[in-house]
Amino acid sequence: MKITLVKKILADGSPCKKCGDVLEKLESSGQIAQIDTILTADERDPESDGMVLAKKLDVDRAPFFVVEKDGAAPLVYTVYMKFVKEVLNQKTEEKDELKEIMENNDDLDFL
Amino acid sequence: MNDTINLVDLDSNLQAASPQEILAHALAEHDNIAISFSGAEDVVLVDMASRIKPGVQVFCLDTGRLHAATYEFIDKVRQHYEVDLQILFPDATAVQQLVNEKGLFSFYQDTHKECCAIRKVGPLRKKLLTLDAWITGQRKDQSPGTRANIPVVQHDRAFSRPEEVLVKYNPLVNWTSAQVWDYIRSNNVPYNKLHDQGFISIGCEPCTRPTGPGQHEREGRWWWEEETKKECGLHR
Repeated sequence: MKITLVKKILADGSPCKKCGDVLEKLESSGQIAQIDTILTADERDPESDGMVLAKKLDVDRAPFFVVEKDGAAPLVYTVYMKFVKEVLNQKTEEKDELKEIMENNDDLDFL
Repeated sequence: MNDTINLVDLDSNLQAASPQEILAHALAEHDNIAISFSGAEDVVLVDMASRIKPGVQVFCLDTGRLHAATYEFIDKVRQHYEVDLQILFPDATAVQQLVNEKGLFSFYQDTHKECCAIRKVGPLRKKLLTLDAWITGQRKDQSPGTRANIPVVQHDRAFSRPEEVLVKYNPLVNWTSAQVWDYIRSNNVPYNKLHDQGFISIGCEPCTRPTGPGQHEREGRWWWEEETKKECGLHR
């Protein structure tokens, strides 16, 4: 299994805050050791590794994780808590999962 | 099979299709599919779908804080259409914990996200984990800042079951509010009477208010909060 994390640089050159938050969680929990590759999606450069991968997999947000297993299509995770629970098999609190989904999906506002 | 690529191609093919054509495709393609109905103008989806496939699954998220008029309207829709209308409720323990810790109106201080997560996203996720596909009434013109790039069909990665694809259809995405209301008037579709009182976007009672002339519908929701700062999207 290979895990890739894509983080983002905003159009003004500043780092994406959510990506920074996720990286901090990965590092403080030690989960970072399970990430094989970290790519950058630079909004100023459509040819940057992360932007190319996002386009290829039709992902419209960052950060996101790509999980590749032999013989299977890559799995994309845009929700950190979902990735932690389903791929790293670690326990998460439902309250935190729902909060992350709500914060990262503005389209849910109008439901 | 690469589902992502297939959905991208399908989205491209359906971009010029009518909402009815998109709905017909969705309902033919999936048996285990349901429409998310908010009790507002997305009633047009219920009307269209009931003509295509009577008995179609429809669900509403009852947050416990909806307007009385919305409850009345949901019940009217239940009686009017031949659909399987289910009302979903939030987890009582989670609501009780929130209210006991922070009171009944914590969203005015803490933003609506925490309350919505418990009252809407929780029951929504529970329902979506049982489905293969769902249908929403999202439209691009509801929020030009955050909805400009909504596809007709997409892989819903936030709510999919582990290693499975959950397909999300947005049949009204390319329609304007005017087109929705033309459909409602032309087809005598029942609608929430709050619309006649100046409400455009209808959500929970404490978080929704009428809008004045020239105001965008987003201004009728969570008006005490700053416009959501978009940072997570990738501008490709």
